Amino acid sequence: MADPFDAALDLLRRLPPSSTQQNLNGIISLRPDLEEDLLSSVDVALTSKRCPKSGRDFLCCDYNRDGSSYRSPWSNQFEPPIDPEDAADLIPGGRVRRMEVALNSAVDVYRELYYEGGTSSAYLWALEEGFAGVVLFKKTSSAGGGKGSWDSIHVLEVTEATSKRSAHYKLTSTVILDLGLSSAAVDSLDLAGNLTRQTQSDNPLSGLRDSEIEQSHVVNIGRMVEDMETRMRNLLQEVYFGKAKDVVGDLRSIQPLSEVGRERDAHREVINKMGR
Amino acid sequence: MASKQSTVASFIESAPPGELSNVLADVKSLVPKEIQSLGSAFKKYNEAQYAIVKLKSGEASLITPYNSISEDKYYDTAHSISFRVDHTSQSASDEEQHTIESPHAGTIRSLHKSFAAASAEHFPSSTIGIFPSDNSIAILLVANKYSPQNFWNGRWRSTYHLNLSSNSVTGSIKVDVHYYEDGNVRMTTSKKVELSSSGADAVVREIAKAENKYQEELNRAFTTLAEGSFKGLRRQLPVTRQRVEWEKIGGYRLGQDIGGGRSK
Repeated sequence: MADPFDAALDLLRRLPPSSTQQNLNGIISLRPDLEEDLLSSVDVALTSKRCPKSGRDFLCCDYNRDGSSYRSPWSNQFEPPIDPEDAADLIPGGRVRRMEVALNSAVDVYRELYYEGGTSSAYLWALEEGFAGVVLFKKTSSAGGGKGSWDSIHVLEVTEATSKRSAHYKLTSTVILDLGLSSAAVDSLDLAGNLTRQTQSDNPLSGLRDSEIEQSHVVNIGRMVEDMETRMRNLLQEVYFGKAKDVVGDLRSIQPLSEVGRERDAHREVINKMGR
Repeated sequence: MASKQSTVASFIESAPPGELSNVLADVKSLVPKEIQSLGSAFKKYNEAQYAIVKLKSGEASLITPYNSISEDKYYDTAHSISFRVDHTSQSASDEEQHTIESPHAGTIRSLHKSFAAASAEHFPSSTIGIFPSDNSIAILLVANKYSPQNFWNGRWRSTYHLNLSSNSVTGSIKVDVHYYEDGNVRMTTSKKVELSSSGADAVVREIAKAENKYQEELNRAFTTLAEGSFKGLRRQLPVTRQRVEWEKIGGYRLGQDIGGGRSK
């Protein structure tokens, strides 16, 4: 019998993606022992919070969470505040925080260019060797009888070469895309789901000073996220609009099948004649 | 909070087309003890999804709310038999002669003939059912196409009620598509249909017309979504038609009017 954790992931890959959060809660209520592993490996639609210090919204995920508080990338403080001693252990400082600040500003520009709105947040944390992080985007729209929401979650792991001349980047990206249409012509159409893709690469780090190397990481991460999102956007377009339409066409043919058959026979006859 | 049993039942009831056995295997692995009490969840799933059972003759019949005799007994008007269903395994047994006592038996027979022929013209593979209920006749169809090796499965369900006194037909078309290669994407649609017609051939012709129209509208809706909501979420390229120059992103920040120019 399959491992319960694998079974939980398989189940979440099958049940309606529009209810992933609800199904995740359901599985956890059945198997509380899987809670921690599931929360750190299942992506759900992002929520946002207002940072009281900066007045700006930030995105919440398992990586900036402590209990029911979330750390704002803008103020580096938890909202609602947590015990100062706990916070001291959880709030990044030094190099990691400097890169986090720079990454947030860079990603903010990227967001404005590609999303023309929405919310973005980036969180970094130190690892024993190197560091890890997550870059998040969320945008919702409603226009002309349609509704849509896009959540992208990019989790990365960075290992620097001992020479500090290059680093290895591992990226796991998930995009959660929900689209819906209500109109007189189709009544209701819901297309909801998520796709996950992984990539890794070695990229050079330029400069010798710490600040240059830090900036180099931001550039490398930014470019990798941009490439991945562009690739995934194309993939989503293919799956959501191409694949869905093809499957409907496989279920039912608008053109009568007898005509399709006759055309195929005629076509075959032409080919046969040409071959003779 | 929901009970364990109702949580597991909701998983079974929302299984995608063709994946009931996979969902069941996952549930078994998570909570082996809860499997015993799921009979009614399977029944609910089977009736809602027009599950297909194989008869002894090799022909297929449907499990629906419209041909239910009792808890696990159903009948088939095309073959004039009744059968018992094991809801968990979707298998039929105890077949018995069953002739319906309906003043509309003749209409049911002609609808069967016309609808079977018309369905074969548009569905490469489908199963139909025609069942009487009060003063109307239920006209049902389910078409499944499963391609688990390519990580997708699909189902089309049509439900029509022909009112014999008003010659009106009301019903719905539901399409359900699941794609799950390194992800989980689900399309569900629901369309109400209303038309009026009399005579088996004419009714069936109107149904085919309505379904063709719906399928064309659905194809157009994909384009509407792709060109509308989807484009509005994330651009393929920035307005500048150029990718981000990450080395110079600090400079972008100075010119705050790039992109939408929202205040920060």
